[in-house]
Amino acid sequence: MTTPVLAELSVEADEPRRTATVTLTVGADEPVFAGHYPHFAIFPGVCLVDCVVRGADRTIPDPGLELCGVDSARFLTAVFPGDEVRIELSWRPLGDDWRCAAELSTARGPAAVVRLRYRVTR
Amino acid sequence: MITPAEIRRLLPHRFPMLLVDRVVEAVPGESLTALKAVTLNEPWYARLGPDAADRDTRYPESLLIESWGQSAGLLSLISGADDLDGAVMLFGSASGVTFHRRVQPGDLLEHRVRLSRRVGDTVLFTGDSRIAGEVAFTVDRMVMAFRPAAALASANT
Repeated sequence: MTTPVLAELSVEADEPRRTATVTLTVGADEPVFAGHYPHFAIFPGVCLVDCVVRGADRTIPDPGLELCGVDSARFLTAVFPGDEVRIELSWRPLGDDWRCAAELSTARGPAAVVRLRYRVTR
Repeated sequence: MITPAEIRRLLPHRFPMLLVDRVVEAVPGESLTALKAVTLNEPWYARLGPDAADRDTRYPESLLIESWGQSAGLLSLISGADDLDGAVMLFGSASGVTFHRRVQPGDLLEHRVRLSRRVGDTVLFTGDSRIAGEVAFTVDRMVMAFRPAAALASANT
């Protein structure tokens, strides 16, 4: 899976509950910082969404599920180089689809809330 | 028409996060159509191994949202939403983003952004993105906020 984010994810999944805790450290060497922004490094909100997508990919309840939408993504506080990001992720069925909900935080508190939608495509 | 050089003047983003190539149509305060060409030479693909499959060359959905958001940002900027002194543009939220088809290198995205509402220093957008006329994804709502740079230091995005 292609991603703009270099950081490795650490994933601790609770399979019966369909929840997971994902952690990563946003290194100063993330390639996106060169251009976002040249004189003020701030981790792009979409890169947080990308980390949720990767965490979801690692804990997907059915291998036939594919990302079909971002129901919502709300950014609450900025994430900077050196921050450790913690993602509490949970899966639940939503009609024929699946919802992957994620709450992201850093040491400064809540950073983002993301809700992804997945659908069986095969 | 906004040329690539003008895009670089308007947006603070730079390589590898400057994800709009050209604006082909713009009506300040109303709408904008921007082009983004996806290529296999983008840096994200550098880390793919020799066994990469079609699934692996899919353009990340996160970057589709960023690219569309930068188009919305350009529409804000030409609509005078940055008249707040020293304001920076922040991506506040997005909702109802639906992906209708996958995007691969070689695709030319045509982002069609409409400014739906402006409330003070917050601007709301809606629209879609097409590839050769076919809808690739739709965006029900995206919210951009213009805040003083100092507010960012207190981390309230």
